[in-house]
Amino acid sequence: MRWSNIRLVFWRECRDQLRDRRTLFTIAVLPLLLYPLLAISVFQVAQFRHDHPSRVWVIGAKRLPSQPTLLHGDRFSDGLVDNATRDLIALGSAPPDWTALSQEALSERVEQEIQQGHVDAVVLFPNDFSLRLEQFNQQMAERPTSQDTPLLSFSEVPEPTLFLNTTNDKSRLAAQRTKKVLQSWREQIVRAGLRSRQIPITATRPFRVAHVDLAEAGRQQLAFWSRLLPFVVMIWALTGAFYPAIDLCAGEKERGTLETLLTSPADRREIVCGKLLTVTTFSSATAVLNLSSLVLTGSLFFGQMELVEGAQPLQLGAPSIAAVVWLLIVLLPISALFSALSLGIAAFARSNKEGQYYLMPLLLVCLPLMIFPVLPACELDAGTSLIPLSGILLLLRTLIEGDYLLAARYCLPVLGVTGLGCWLAIHWAVHQFNQESVLFRESERVGLRIGLRHWWRHRQETPGVTGALCCGLLLLFMRFIAGSQASMPATWRDFVTSQMLVQVGLLAVPAVLLACLLGRRVRDGLLLRWPGYRPVIAGGFLAVCFHPLGMELTQLIHNLYPLSDAIGKQLRELESIMGPASLGTLILTMAVLPAICEELTFRGLLFSGLRRSGRPGFTILTSSLFFGAIHGVFQQSLSAFVVGILIGGLAWRTSSILPGILFHFTYNGLSVLLGMVLPLYLPKQPILQLAFDGADGALRYHPLIVASGGLVCLAIGLWFRGWRVDTQPKEQTLDHHPDTPATESLGTTPAA
Amino acid sequence: MIRVHQLSKIYTDWQQGDSIALNAISFHAKRGEIYGLLGTNGAGKTTALRILATVLAPSSGNATIDGCDVVKDSALVRQKIGFVSSNTAIYDRMTAWELVTYFGRLHGLDPELLRDRMEGLFTQLEMHDFRDVLGAKMSSGMKQKTSIARALIHDPPVLIFDEATVGLDVLAGRSLLDTVCKLRDQGKCIVFSTHIMREAERLCDKVAILHRGRFLAEGNWRDLAQEHGYADLEELFFELIREDRSVDSSSSLRESVACETTVSMAASRLT
Repeated sequence: MRWSNIRLVFWRECRDQLRDRRTLFTIAVLPLLLYPLLAISVFQVAQFRHDHPSRVWVIGAKRLPSQPTLLHGDRFSDGLVDNATRDLIALGSAPPDWTALSQEALSERVEQEIQQGHVDAVVLFPNDFSLRLEQFNQQMAERPTSQDTPLLSFSEVPEPTLFLNTTNDKSRLAAQRTKKVLQSWREQIVRAGLRSRQIPITATRPFRVAHVDLAEAGRQQLAFWSRLLPFVVMIWALTGAFYPAIDLCAGEKERGTLETLLTSPADRREIVCGKLLTVTTFSSATAVLNLSSLVLTGSLFFGQMELVEGAQPLQLGAPSIAAVVWLLIVLLPISALFSALSLGIAAFARSNKEGQYYLMPLLLVCLPLMIFPVLPACELDAGTSLIPLSGILLLLRTLIEGDYLLAARYCLPVLGVTGLGCWLAIHWAVHQFNQESVLFRESERVGLRIGLRHWWRHRQETPGVTGALCCGLLLLFMRFIAGSQASMPATWRDFVTSQMLVQVGLLAVPAVLLACLLGRRVRDGLLLRWPGYRPVIAGGFLAVCFHPLGMELTQLIHNLYPLSDAIGKQLRELESIMGPASLGTLILTMAVLPAICEELTFRGLLFSGLRRSGRPGFTILTSSLFFGAIHGVFQQSLSAFVVGILIGGLAWRTSSILPGILFHFTYNGLSVLLGMVLPLYLPKQPILQLAFDGADGALRYHPLIVASGGLVCLAIGLWFRGWRVDTQPKEQTLDHHPDTPATESLGTTPAA
Repeated sequence: MIRVHQLSKIYTDWQQGDSIALNAISFHAKRGEIYGLLGTNGAGKTTALRILATVLAPSSGNATIDGCDVVKDSALVRQKIGFVSSNTAIYDRMTAWELVTYFGRLHGLDPELLRDRMEGLFTQLEMHDFRDVLGAKMSSGMKQKTSIARALIHDPPVLIFDEATVGLDVLAGRSLLDTVCKLRDQGKCIVFSTHIMREAERLCDKVAILHRGRFLAEGNWRDLAQEHGYADLEELFFELIREDRSVDSSSSLRESVACETTVSMAASRLT
């Protein structure tokens, strides 16, 4: 790569973007205007909320008791609430005929009046309210103090009714203010009753709860900014990458300039790097400008607002310089990641409009990962540090809050995950620009009938990549629907039935049917080939050697992401219902059935389709992703994903699912033995105690066995590498034609 | 200068399966020669030129430009060619001067040499009047001139014109053809694709008539016309295309008749 070419492409693209009004509006004008406008709007609303007088009508005012007084002329009495609140309620009288209306009719009339804006809320005092209240007070006064009088013997006071419309802001506010007045009035009535019986007023409130906020003013500010700023920076880094990426890829295609650029001496990697730098620059600039605008607006406006009603006003100044520095440092990898992803996706699009459609899902995927760290009780730990985007947001939050020790502890995993994400995204973006099928995609006319007919006539011997991906999604969807409808099995018999239904009905049978439908050679479509004895036996042996490592991996996953209480309870219940099962049925249900059905589906149907891409990494990882996703529990999915990679490797090298089936069976069988049978024999057999450690409750292999198993796995892996991938036609794409020498073809034969 | 041997390109279409855009075409174009690729829309002209420009990779066969293979030595090939496409490919937010400078610098030209070349080209192509006009505000003629200047800035020995006169008015079209002739006289090897026969007659030393990815005829157009007994290239073109279509339809008719016969024979055996 020549830096001079990258620089040239970068400067040209930057100049081009700076001359684009849309980009300028998004990165510069919008952030500079957005926050001040938002702040002004908030102030306006707040002022309106405080200053707008509420119109309240009182029905039955004449029937109210004289002491304590609620109304004084056309206002509420002094002393009920503070003068400011009292002045914000304008009392009016309802039409005289309303007193005769039934409750339903009155509700209708009030609703009409509120809608027409004549009134905001109405208070109705029932006819006998005053009389019954008087009776109540009298009973209270005459109530003997020596014995308990049942409360039911007291005269019940009818409820005054407050009519409001909660969908109307003004009505809600009026009701809130009126309620405050009525509560105060009620307290005065209670106090008067207590006074008449010479009971101290404090009897109603023997103590108060005092609040002592130990947070320093600075910490409060940090806590506020540490949640807000990283989120804002990330959202704008993503948004800032969108438009330039679309313009630089889809826009160039639309204008026809991409073809010319590709005929220039600039290498495609240089072009992508130049474009990537541009998008990263604009993404960072958008985030920085938004950050500046938010901080400036925040320190000027929000700091003056009373954020917590009734508490001390929280004075928010500008965030510390250290916070801003951390944000700027972390912004770079975030922008690079978003830019590479946006560039790779935008390369698919043929036009600006299409680019926007394609990038929207990226936002939808990223948004939950960005919202997750803002949730209460979400903190940086070993598990969250490994989640893309969420980890780096949490790291930023920790850094801004000044908890450097915690940040230092999880800095490496966070940066590792982010760096890996960046590298993969950049690699993918470059790959996209090397694909003719991506750069010169013609307009696709989708006609379902013709398409289906063509597909049926021209279907190839085994399913293709698209077919495999669709099958994977379909199976996942079916599994999800079945999982949401199924209930927890109560007995072992129920469990076996549900396993049969899931494994056979939702995996194996659909896999075989889809293989028949999508390809002409079902056996090849399911990779049902005999690779010879050696790889099959090696597959089983590999499972034995890998099992200790797999157990350690599972333990690690459980440490990083502990099971939730609900899931833990369900798993314990499952274990309890397995108690009466014999070892044979356990092995059959937990090892044989999944080994056949899951391998037929994931290393058979999906793998045979995906492998036609000619890319082992893509094939193995994608099939493992589906394999992991089909397992319902997240922790189980993670370990299944890793095991899937290993079995995928076997399938790639041998072009057969048989070694995988034996691996899967052996691995699951050993897990069953370890979980169900070994605990019974471990206390009695000293030899077993040398190999296993069950001290901390969980049965684990001795570290020496884990290490030895790992070494043997490595040796078996190297032995499998000696197997040569042999000829199988690759999927015909723009980049490949059957006439070309079959250098990138698949299948296996043992090395000569 | 340009050698193309058994070049094929196959695209896969979601609806129609594989479509053969180029079917083993071969030709040879020399220095100081204009080679015309003639064909209807969809004949495969653009695909062939994109392969020569290293933008697409061939499915099979090979092509060399000045001895450099378009697949293996693509970077070298790009230094030796100038590509002008029908859509002019001008950046909307760049002036003519900026655009040509940009491509000159991508070709690694020394600033002084670049400036001299640009002055010369802008004078030769009469572009000084609009050198500071943004691409979005240029007329089609201005765009095409800018596009030619961009393709010529590094003084490549080979020039590829892909339907370069499409959308130009008569004056601009004539001006472009004159420029192409001058470039030929300067010793450039030019591949010029068009579906306008008069342009080919006027410009091309050799032509190839391309239809459905295959060459129907190739050589000096006068010799070809004489050989087939036609007075001009347009008549020859029409006749060759018509013949090719009738051959295709009769072969598909033969296939359908054969199929029906097989079915009826099978049916007769059943009864």
